[in-house]
Amino acid sequence: MISVSTSGPAHYIYASTRMRVRKSKLLPREDYMRLLNMSLPEITRFIEEMEYKAEIDDLASSFSGIDLIEIALSWNLANEYQRVLKILPGVMKTFARSYLSHWDIFNVLTILRGKSQGVKTGKIKEILIPAGTLNVATLDRLLAEDSPERIVENLSSWILYPVLEREFAAAQESGSYAEMENELYKAFYRYVLKKTTEGIKGGKPFREYLELEIDLTNIKTVIRLYKGGVREDVRTLMIPGGSFSVDELARLAGSESIEEIMEGIRKYYPSGPVADLLEERSGGGFALHEMENALTQVMLVQMDRISKRYPFSICSTMVYLKRKRYEVANLRAIARGKESGLSGEQIQGYLVM
Amino acid sequence: MAVEVMTVEVAEATASGFAAIGAGLAVGLTGMGTGLAQFSIGGAAVGATAENKDMFGLALLFTVIPETIVIFGLVVALLLLF
Repeated sequence: MISVSTSGPAHYIYASTRMRVRKSKLLPREDYMRLLNMSLPEITRFIEEMEYKAEIDDLASSFSGIDLIEIALSWNLANEYQRVLKILPGVMKTFARSYLSHWDIFNVLTILRGKSQGVKTGKIKEILIPAGTLNVATLDRLLAEDSPERIVENLSSWILYPVLEREFAAAQESGSYAEMENELYKAFYRYVLKKTTEGIKGGKPFREYLELEIDLTNIKTVIRLYKGGVREDVRTLMIPGGSFSVDELARLAGSESIEEIMEGIRKYYPSGPVADLLEERSGGGFALHEMENALTQVMLVQMDRISKRYPFSICSTMVYLKRKRYEVANLRAIARGKESGLSGEQIQGYLVM
Repeated sequence: MAVEVMTVEVAEATASGFAAIGAGLAVGLTGMGTGLAQFSIGGAAVGATAENKDMFGLALLFTVIPETIVIFGLVVALLLLF
């Protein structure tokens, strides 16, 4: 029987080149600056001239204004991720799908929350981003169900189903899905970290990147908890798998001052971009969103770095997927900010460029 | 044991035989070198062209550049044979 080989370096070269070309089409910093000075209709026209044209055209008859932009951006992100998955061969596709499964968590929780609060199916569907392993047909099937129990039963083939099944009863009892969401994200990171060791080219550097991502996500949580004045046991909120142990993160979250938190982080990051960032913000007088954006920026720069060091590996694909996600987030922030009457300077503080 | 004497004819036949082997190696090895260089350039060229059709001419040009290696091999082979 004739079969097509989907391993070997040629496939990585082909797919990585395509991803690099796609990444080069993403919006540069100068365009964001121009967008900050535009009105909402001008922004709509601007993005219609880009890769978002098909989605804007499709949705223009049903939506207008900010809704049109938001939904077109979400649809474009989902369509683009599905197109990327079609391009990727064999093991690259499997790996990218595993990383995109975090969108499944978002979609499943949105449906569960929407259904338990009696939100209309159409309204829930507008928010979904079918960019993960659960396709539109599966999500439609879930949306057609009325009870959360039936929704969970329908997800029996989902990779994170065992965690969902384990946590669901407690979530229903407490009336909050927050704990279940945390457990799903922890399981997601465990799953992707395991996938990096299954023969993917660039798996080792991507694993190191994932550890940084886990660390920075935990650091963001610690700073949020500190700023929010939460001083209880926060072990369950932390994601294991990074450089910090869960106990250490819980201790950091209970610190008396921001300086103590910074000092704890410096133990693991004595130099490099994270240390530089902490140095800049050492006085503690920073807005939470600015710090979070700066940490996200560190993650993206690190991704760019490894994709350049390992050009024909899975890293080029992952950096594109990540950058595309933030382009959509930035465009949404600009559109929402303009709609709310914020100034360009204020909106700029929320952008990851 | 009889001593074998190499005649002029035998020497000429041996020399042309070695030249033929040399010519074969020159074309064969450079062909493999070209192939190794072209598979990565070709992969990238097809990828770039799939994303942007305007890249076709440039991508084709880059893909054929390693052909020079096998042409050098062919020239050496022809010099050896004629």
